[in-house]
Amino acid sequence: MKTIPPTCPEPETGRKYWRSMDQLAETPEFKQWVEREFPEGASEWSDPVSRRHFVKIMSASFMLAGMGLAGSGCRRPEEKILPFSKMPENYVHGVAQFYATAMPTRCGAIPLVVKSNDGRPTKLEGNPSHPDSNGGTDRWAQASILNLYDPDRAQACTNNGKLVTEEVVADFLTGLSKSAQENGGQGLAFLLERNTSPSRLRLQKALVQKLPQAKWYVHEAIDVDAGRRAASQAFGKPVKPFYQFDAAKVIVSLDCDFIGSEEDAHNNIKGFSKGRSVEENAGALNRLYAVESLMTLTGFNSDHRLRIPCSAVAQVAAGLAAGIGGIPGVPNVGALAGVDPNWITECAKDLAKHKGQSLVVAGYRQPLAVHLLAHAMNAALGNVGKTVLFHEIPDSPEGSLTELASALTAGQVATLIILGANPVYNAAADLNWVEAQKKAKTVVRLGYYEDETSLLCHWHLPMAHYLESWGDALTSDGTLVPVQPLIAPLFGGWTEIQVLARLAGEKAITAYEVVRETFAALAGAENVEERWKKFLFDGFLPGSAAKPAEVKFNEGVLSQAAADLKPSLPSKDKLEVVFQRDYSVDDGRYSNNGWLQEMPDPVTKMVWDNAVLISRKTAQELGFKNMEVVEIKLGGKSIQGPIWVQPGQADYSLGLPLGYGRDTKLRVGRGVGFDAYPLRTTTAQNFAVGATITATGKTYTLACTQDHWSMEGRPIIREANLEQFQSKPDFAKAMKQEEPPVVEPLYANPLKRLEAGQLGTNGSPAHHQWGMSIDLNKCVGCQACMMACQSENNVPIVGKDQVRRGREMHWIRIDRYYAGSPKKTAYGDTFITEEKQQFEQWIDDPQAVTQPMLCQHCEAAPCENVCPVNATVHDQEGLNLMVYNRCVGTRYCSNNCPYKVRRFNYFDYNKRGIGKNLYWGPLRHRPEDEYDLVKMIKNPDVTVRMRGVMEKCTYCIQRIEGAKIAQKVKAGASNDVIVPTDSFTTACAQACPANAIVFGNISDPKSRVSQLKKKSRDYAVLEFLLTKPRTTYLAKVRNPNPAMPDYVDFKEGPWSLQNYETKMGNPFVEEGEKHGAEAAAPKGAE
Amino acid sequence: MSAHAVPANVPQPPAELERIPLVANNRSFGWISNQVAALCEGPAPFWWWVLFIPSACALGFLGFCLSYQISTGVGVWGNMHPVMWAWDIVNFVWWIGIGHAGTLISAILFLLRQRWRTAVNRAAEAMTIFAVMCAGIYPALHVGRMWYDWWLFPIPNSNSIWPQFRSPLMWDVFAVSTYFTVSVLFWYMGLIPDLAVMRDRAKTKLRQFLYGLGALGWTGSNRHWSNYEKAYLILAGLSTPLVLSVHSIVSLDFAVSQLPGWHTTIFPPYFVAGAVFSGFGMVLTLLIPLRSMFKLQDIITMRHIDVMCKVTLATGSIVGYAYTMEFFIAWYSGNPNERFHFMNRAIGPYNWAWLLMVIPNVVVPQVFWFKWCRKTLWFVWIVSIVVNVGMWFERFVIIVIGLHREFLPSSWGYYHPTWVDIGTYIGTFGLFFTCFLLFVRFLPMIAISEVKGVTPQSDPHHPAGGAKVEEKEPDDE
Repeated sequence: MKTIPPTCPEPETGRKYWRSMDQLAETPEFKQWVEREFPEGASEWSDPVSRRHFVKIMSASFMLAGMGLAGSGCRRPEEKILPFSKMPENYVHGVAQFYATAMPTRCGAIPLVVKSNDGRPTKLEGNPSHPDSNGGTDRWAQASILNLYDPDRAQACTNNGKLVTEEVVADFLTGLSKSAQENGGQGLAFLLERNTSPSRLRLQKALVQKLPQAKWYVHEAIDVDAGRRAASQAFGKPVKPFYQFDAAKVIVSLDCDFIGSEEDAHNNIKGFSKGRSVEENAGALNRLYAVESLMTLTGFNSDHRLRIPCSAVAQVAAGLAAGIGGIPGVPNVGALAGVDPNWITECAKDLAKHKGQSLVVAGYRQPLAVHLLAHAMNAALGNVGKTVLFHEIPDSPEGSLTELASALTAGQVATLIILGANPVYNAAADLNWVEAQKKAKTVVRLGYYEDETSLLCHWHLPMAHYLESWGDALTSDGTLVPVQPLIAPLFGGWTEIQVLARLAGEKAITAYEVVRETFAALAGAENVEERWKKFLFDGFLPGSAAKPAEVKFNEGVLSQAAADLKPSLPSKDKLEVVFQRDYSVDDGRYSNNGWLQEMPDPVTKMVWDNAVLISRKTAQELGFKNMEVVEIKLGGKSIQGPIWVQPGQADYSLGLPLGYGRDTKLRVGRGVGFDAYPLRTTTAQNFAVGATITATGKTYTLACTQDHWSMEGRPIIREANLEQFQSKPDFAKAMKQEEPPVVEPLYANPLKRLEAGQLGTNGSPAHHQWGMSIDLNKCVGCQACMMACQSENNVPIVGKDQVRRGREMHWIRIDRYYAGSPKKTAYGDTFITEEKQQFEQWIDDPQAVTQPMLCQHCEAAPCENVCPVNATVHDQEGLNLMVYNRCVGTRYCSNNCPYKVRRFNYFDYNKRGIGKNLYWGPLRHRPEDEYDLVKMIKNPDVTVRMRGVMEKCTYCIQRIEGAKIAQKVKAGASNDVIVPTDSFTTACAQACPANAIVFGNISDPKSRVSQLKKKSRDYAVLEFLLTKPRTTYLAKVRNPNPAMPDYVDFKEGPWSLQNYETKMGNPFVEEGEKHGAEAAAPKGAE
Repeated sequence: MSAHAVPANVPQPPAELERIPLVANNRSFGWISNQVAALCEGPAPFWWWVLFIPSACALGFLGFCLSYQISTGVGVWGNMHPVMWAWDIVNFVWWIGIGHAGTLISAILFLLRQRWRTAVNRAAEAMTIFAVMCAGIYPALHVGRMWYDWWLFPIPNSNSIWPQFRSPLMWDVFAVSTYFTVSVLFWYMGLIPDLAVMRDRAKTKLRQFLYGLGALGWTGSNRHWSNYEKAYLILAGLSTPLVLSVHSIVSLDFAVSQLPGWHTTIFPPYFVAGAVFSGFGMVLTLLIPLRSMFKLQDIITMRHIDVMCKVTLATGSIVGYAYTMEFFIAWYSGNPNERFHFMNRAIGPYNWAWLLMVIPNVVVPQVFWFKWCRKTLWFVWIVSIVVNVGMWFERFVIIVIGLHREFLPSSWGYYHPTWVDIGTYIGTFGLFFTCFLLFVRFLPMIAISEVKGVTPQSDPHHPAGGAKVEEKEPDDE
């Protein structure tokens, strides 16, 4: 409203002041401006009925808000589905579509089949028809779909921080291309990330021809390419190793976490687990020796583990090479302090015994010399062509980031084009990258996030997710796979192929055409159209796998490299730091991925953080304990991080996981953990000796999903040595605790009724009875299943604070236990607080076991009879159902569940997101953009649970029902409604690269699960409670070498078995003998 | 009717065998009426306001905490995986336990003709009702979706889904609601003659109307008294099994499950004994200050205190026996999980809670073997509070230690409460004391008619039967 201020009488006398010339002139505009309370246009409604209308709208919205407030807590919101007005042909609502594509990785690709619901990709699965895939994936692939719907993605092109349209960018790139061609690319530099795309390679070659002066560089913060470089040097031509873990009977890992953090881990797991399978190898299991400083998943699964600092691995490698013999040029390094020389001798003997059936692998962290030694050993052992193949690959002539930095500093680069890499965050500290980058006149960046590097770039282009882009890649076996989009770029992203094509001057060309052309070049010209279609349909080009190259080891290289083997061992005042590729966030590229942030680290079980991993002895000598913040100084740089005592960590060696401590706008990754990159230098990319550590006096809380480390001698995971297993194949059954007498239940078990012919629909003799079998001998603990389950079942993340309160929502978890020599443990240790276990001696050299734990679908489920409202009930197919709609949330079921697999929605995690919002309840909502995007990832077949209800694994009931419905549709009137044997499986089983999880119909004798359940190793966890779980486990069998010095410690069996024995008695003694021999001992086994 | 006079040749018993009268100082009927009814008449004493205002504030805080929890989620409490029940159920069982003494005093002691109960039963029953109200908040609101609580009641519905009758939580609903209903009825029944007294003494129309409404037209006729006594006896008979059932059934919440430390058959008697123990503790805590503030030393005499101390001693010893038996059974069963649980109780990370349970519940009440301890009021009062602390920790030990380390060590955890847990608990004290203070302010906190019935002169054979005795102010103790 217009308020006219009272006129101010002009003073009669005195000087006259004026505010402006307008006032002096008394213009009408000025008069009006003075009179107005608000500027023109802001204070009046042009619509004559506006006030009335306004009040009407406001009262209506207040009423609606009131209703919403009153109702929002109690009712789910009603949402209308908009039907098609004209139905597209062959489209069925609610039926998902599947497309083949692939996820490019640094040195390969993961072939995928992606589920799409109404145009939204919702779930990734491995492509089982790919010749080198069993349908397994890794945790990064499973979680990568969340990145697609990340609200923090770079969403628009910018030029100097201002939004510009795509056309402007396109014109700029064309202009850049033209001007570069004029001077042959002088002053132009490209910084790439590593990948295997043949199309990119083709464009690169084209660009090299057009712009001969342009320079090419590659940057990977975690350079996993060392094996290739070493192989090329060792064999005199550009080759890369391709390991056949399934063919190896003896595997030696030289600081190579091939199961966890090396490239292509899911394929390694596939091979390793195959060689570990009791059934498939007829008693000849593979044997794994691990030499490492950090406790890794490979160390978890090893039969013998040598715990030494990273910098001493080279000496062990030399020792092994010397032990094998026949390798000229091996440096004589002498005995390694603190290492039993027999360990190396016997390990070498075991390798020598398995000529052509052994494998030595070196980790990316190790220097070239160790890789050369590994290749030399493989060559000497005759493994080349058997357990390790070499594929010829095009040499990559790109320079390194160091070279680029010096070129920049020298002012040789005017225009820098960064395709993907984030050097501002993760370049080596001594490069002084930020200063170097500022030297370039124009920096163009194609980036997935507006991250550290984007802030210092002139042009920023949003990168498309691989599920939005056309591309191609080669899997590790060399097979060509397509990267095809499942969805149009959500935010108009660019791919590197597009950018390169644009710069190559191909104005109108699309990425699709580039890829198709590459395909035509690789696949041959005939019948291209049909083969292209089939290529996209299959998701790979059959027969395109690389042929193993004939190679000969060039012995001269060893003696050159041997000069590098300068032993520099860490000590108390000169600690070693080891930079680790993080199991969750990789090098930081996944730090804004909530699923991965909340995925417990498979080793430490820590979430939402990294920590300074340290051994018990080192921590004690230096006087630190868990969660104390320390300052680590190395070469003038320092970082701060909390201490975490990691069992099995090498003494005087500190593990520093990379990829945390991001200081960006990313709402998930921001401020999580500490940044270890500032300690990294070009000379010490992976580890360095000479660090010192000082206390800061601060503490920091870490959230861990598993606080207790020991199994306490309980027969939860049952294991034995191979010889023991062979002498008593049913040892797992002998380890069960005493059972109470079985009372015949009032209502017969459906399985029994089925056998008695009392069940069956419409006269069909059999019925579905679902069950699961998990082979603990194959499970390596990689946690791909956890991510698959999270993706399939709409499992929310809850944030660090909630995890600290034990409220994580994962339906499947990987329990990890450490077992130490029983001699080193005292009885009273069991009862101490979890904080004290970090001081216990037994954690120095533990054995580790992992066990996927999910709802066991007990036939006599303890959760069911305590629910007062019938919200958890059993069905005729043996499933323990959870009826979310009926649940009131008394949480009694969880209290009574002995497996502790039920999860409770303490808050509305889906609606409120994570963090402080949870505690504000209805007063705070999730940001709209975040909520809208995150909703798109939900599996429409699975209910999104509200607060106050219990949830748990359902055996992917949506898949079960889907399969049943499909079969019913197919059966028509024929009554053949039994789902075909093993025609579908759960998300966890599907994602498992080790094939450790098998799900199926246990009433079908042909199904894999019912065959596995007949094995002698089959047992149920806590069977003495008579819960009769449908999920059973196959006991673990270790294969240690009796000649090894550390075999002494577990001659009787694995340490967890000995631990069990002290409490329950020896399961390998027959019942009769036991009564005579140890009448006084508590009767534990029968 | 000439032989009705004082029997001629009955020798008076010697003085040491004479029963100590339940009402001291040979008080008259009139004095009793005046003394009790006067508490509800006239202005409220200063100390009443001093207690009432903080209680009402705490009640307001309860409202805040519960609104916060209801609007935001159970997550504002500290309970977690694996300790899915914590302060909520601890407080529920604790308050229910406190609610035990009232009905025990009024029903079981009535049936057992323990005439001393008359002085304390009204206040104890009120305490019961308010304690059960506090307790009821927890099971109703600790669930995730409290707006569906009605699903726990067997209400016919269109889905034809009934509650699950195998679940102990279901039994709880019946046990607690029945107990509450019968306790309220019993309490109100006893109040009727006294409400009539209040009505007759009322000086304002409003008071007359309101008390008159409650008195249900009581005139004190013989027919009224006859019906009243029969009804009271029937209700006492009904309440007696409820006293035993309610806490037995609460104990089944634990005993029916299969956790080590929960799954045990000794829980029902052990819980009942514990409940009586804590209930008497609370009665002592409340009545010791009240009797001196209201100058009721002649009605709630030292003998009453003494008897209640002895009950506390007896039930405390039963509880101690139960604790010992639990350990014995764990050892004797040979079940490694049971053994582990009890070792973990005693020497595990929560052993501070276990000590806070054992010392106050088993060791401290043993002082009541000594007469000095039973006679010294401040000492009794402190012990009564210690007993209640101990009993709170008993429930904490059972629930939290039971859940924090179970079968799979991977899921072990350690529970911490939040400010909302603590605030809600303090808030229930607010509810309890607000109700209790309103009760002592507006209703006769001593059963006037019953106390009169136990005075010597109410015996028709008493020399001074029904006679008026000179009134004299008793000396303050």
